[in-house]
Amino acid sequence: MPSVKDLRERIRSLKNTQQITKAMKQVAAAKIRRAEAAQKQARPYADTLSEMLRDLMAAVTTVDHPFMKPGNANAPLGVILMTADKGLAGAFNSNVIRAGEHFAAGKNVAWYTVGIKARNAVRRAGHGDRPTWVLNAPSKIDVAREVAKRVTDDFVNGRISGITLISSKLISMLSQKPETRALVPIVADVLPNGSAGHTEADASRRGAVEFAPSPEFVLSRLLPKYLEFTIFSAMLETDAAFFAAQLLAMNNATDNAGKLIDELTIQMNNARQAAITKELLEIVGGAEALVNG
Amino acid sequence: MASTIPFKLITPTKVVFEGDAELVIAVTTEGEEGILPRHAPFLAALKPGVLRANVQSDGKSERLELATSEGFMQALPDRVTVLVDEALHFDDIDVAATRDELAKATDPTAIAFAQAKLRLVGSQA
Repeated sequence: MPSVKDLRERIRSLKNTQQITKAMKQVAAAKIRRAEAAQKQARPYADTLSEMLRDLMAAVTTVDHPFMKPGNANAPLGVILMTADKGLAGAFNSNVIRAGEHFAAGKNVAWYTVGIKARNAVRRAGHGDRPTWVLNAPSKIDVAREVAKRVTDDFVNGRISGITLISSKLISMLSQKPETRALVPIVADVLPNGSAGHTEADASRRGAVEFAPSPEFVLSRLLPKYLEFTIFSAMLETDAAFFAAQLLAMNNATDNAGKLIDELTIQMNNARQAAITKELLEIVGGAEALVNG
Repeated sequence: MASTIPFKLITPTKVVFEGDAELVIAVTTEGEEGILPRHAPFLAALKPGVLRANVQSDGKSERLELATSEGFMQALPDRVTVLVDEALHFDDIDVAATRDELAKATDPTAIAFAQAKLRLVGSQA
């Protein structure tokens, strides 16, 4: 049985841990609010972009854009694996990484990584130095542009056969799931379709939209932006999902530490009581021996 | 009072302007294009340049001028929406940094955007 002193030490260190997890929880809660605000601010752009894309897709007949054609079939498939930079968020990063491994099994894959954890996983798997970016950059849109530019270059020059993005989807505060999306080459059904309430007005409008200089040209400008923005919004979502996962993980850690502290406190009290009882018995025994002697 | 149309200027990170405009002039790949209220449905690609608009604020007409990078302009009978990568006000532009950028830039879009920023500063200085 551990001594009272040992137990007291353990309780103290647990209390320190609990303080740290509690602080991290509060930080995560604050950061998730910021991440969600950033997501919200990107919403108008996303909505307008999809709306324009819908109008264009309805108007174009043929598009001479590399994104709309199958890539070099002999080249590996380009996969962008996106995680957070840091851990301490439960299985958040490893879920995405596992989804990536699962997806890549049996395929010839060229990796691109966003987030330090993804980079490390790809290195550990022995793929060497692949292009990588950090998630937590001062300007996420600039990073998204760089990523988009790099994968577009590789795709257009036949170094990869397509572009797939694996990142985290924030389902709710309690649940995040890895999501795999094929971005390029663009298949018609990947593009956003008319959502409810929009379709009627769209249909009547479409025939008359005038494109300058031509719908094909505007679309060829819009597709790269669409890729850029998809990567950007995935980064925002990964960010928000990460803090949600961290909030949950830290909440659990704080609770667990609390339970352990309670258990150890009872053990310590028992041990102290046992020691006192034993001492008393010794004193009483000693006194009786004196009286009888 | 001139007739107006709801006008929104949006970048990936924020809505730069939202309000009523009497006139919006943007630089499309085909040249400058001015949009008045009740314009026919229209969608064009924009190149970097100075976007100008006459907007209403507190019932008064005001001139809005911004340096914008690549993007798109959509005009519908009931609204005008401009999507750009970046849109900067006169106050947001650091002239020295922009000159630096211009000297280093190799990408035609970056060069055109830097030039647009300087043009905006020049027109207001």
